[in-house]
Amino acid sequence: MAEFKLPRHSRIEKGREIDAADKGAKRKKKFSIYRWDPDTADNPRMDTYEIDLDKCGPMVLDALIYIKNEIDSTVTFRRSCREGICGSCAMNIDGTNTLACTKPIEDVKKTQVRITPLPHMNVVKDLVPDQNHLIAQYNSIEPWLKTDSPAPTRERLQSAEDADHLNGEDGHGPAGCILCFCCSTSCPSYWWNSDRFMGPATLMQAYRWISDTRDEATGERLDQLEDPFRLYRCHTIMNCTNTCPKGLNPAKSIGEIKKLMVTRK
Amino acid sequence: MSGSSKKIQRPLSPHLQVYKPQMTSVLSILHRMTGFAMAVGILVVVWMLVAAASGEQAYNVFLHYVGSKVGMVLLFGWSVAFFYHMSNGIRHLFWDMGYLFKLQNAFRAGYVVLLSTVVLTGLLWWTVCPFNVH
Repeated sequence: MAEFKLPRHSRIEKGREIDAADKGAKRKKKFSIYRWDPDTADNPRMDTYEIDLDKCGPMVLDALIYIKNEIDSTVTFRRSCREGICGSCAMNIDGTNTLACTKPIEDVKKTQVRITPLPHMNVVKDLVPDQNHLIAQYNSIEPWLKTDSPAPTRERLQSAEDADHLNGEDGHGPAGCILCFCCSTSCPSYWWNSDRFMGPATLMQAYRWISDTRDEATGERLDQLEDPFRLYRCHTIMNCTNTCPKGLNPAKSIGEIKKLMVTRK
Repeated sequence: MSGSSKKIQRPLSPHLQVYKPQMTSVLSILHRMTGFAMAVGILVVVWMLVAAASGEQAYNVFLHYVGSKVGMVLLFGWSVAFFYHMSNGIRHLFWDMGYLFKLQNAFRAGYVVLLSTVVLTGLLWWTVCPFNVH
């Protein structure tokens, strides 16, 4: 049964308010950030930092870096490439999951930008969620090329049409996934069943290998997913596609897997 | 730090508490809620059949309760639930066939479902409206 309320030790308390903007600042904005420190016994809290937008870059990640560098060095978050290709800075910004580095601050019209970790995850610290379970599920689909036929003397070739299954005709196919897990953690079904449901990110990658014409383990891969929970906890809610920061379509990939399940019988 | 025997109890990050209601998720939970409402409503249908089989007196009792103000409001609610669940069920059939996965189309079909719920419910109640009975 789904647990709709947060456990007692996870309830969010009111935090500190820090006004770090100059009096004369023209463009001020508040950032309300989820904080939790594993070294204390305290509940999580929301700390609010008011900053001068003229002093930092245009993206939410720029604001986070500004806050960490100039105001409070204890604010903890993952980031690396700052251009939407590494997937490290995935978090919930203003109520939906996205990458902090590609989310413009001005997209948030409210006076306050609320930032929390990816939803329904165990928190390591502040905005850093524990992704071990997500990665383990991803590994369980064996995301590599599996073949029985002997290796050719050169690469295994593929036609442009066959490659479209992976890259998408519009360039938004499953191969474009950066494993930021914005989609999996936006899915209510994954919130309630993450112990057994694979979630949209992993299922889209499963389809990436199922639809690969060079892969020879399609039947085996489908067998592994033929399960009331692993695949069929997807109820086509489509929060995944709605939130993907790369514009990919996990819901469509999952739909294709379901179609293959029916047609192979 | 982790040398102590005390196990760290990691908090669960907020989910429903922070996630903005989406067109996608709201229509989905409505589908489940209307389905549940109809599962309850089927008991009224059973009551009607049992009452009809038991004779005129029992059926009149059924009519009395169902025709009351509360009964009519409930009937109206069940009719909305029925038409929403049916329309959205058809949207699900399209998904099962592999259509409507483009986000734009999923949204459009969602609005069509809402419109058809209003139109079909309106049509039903218009046909049973007392002013309409000659």
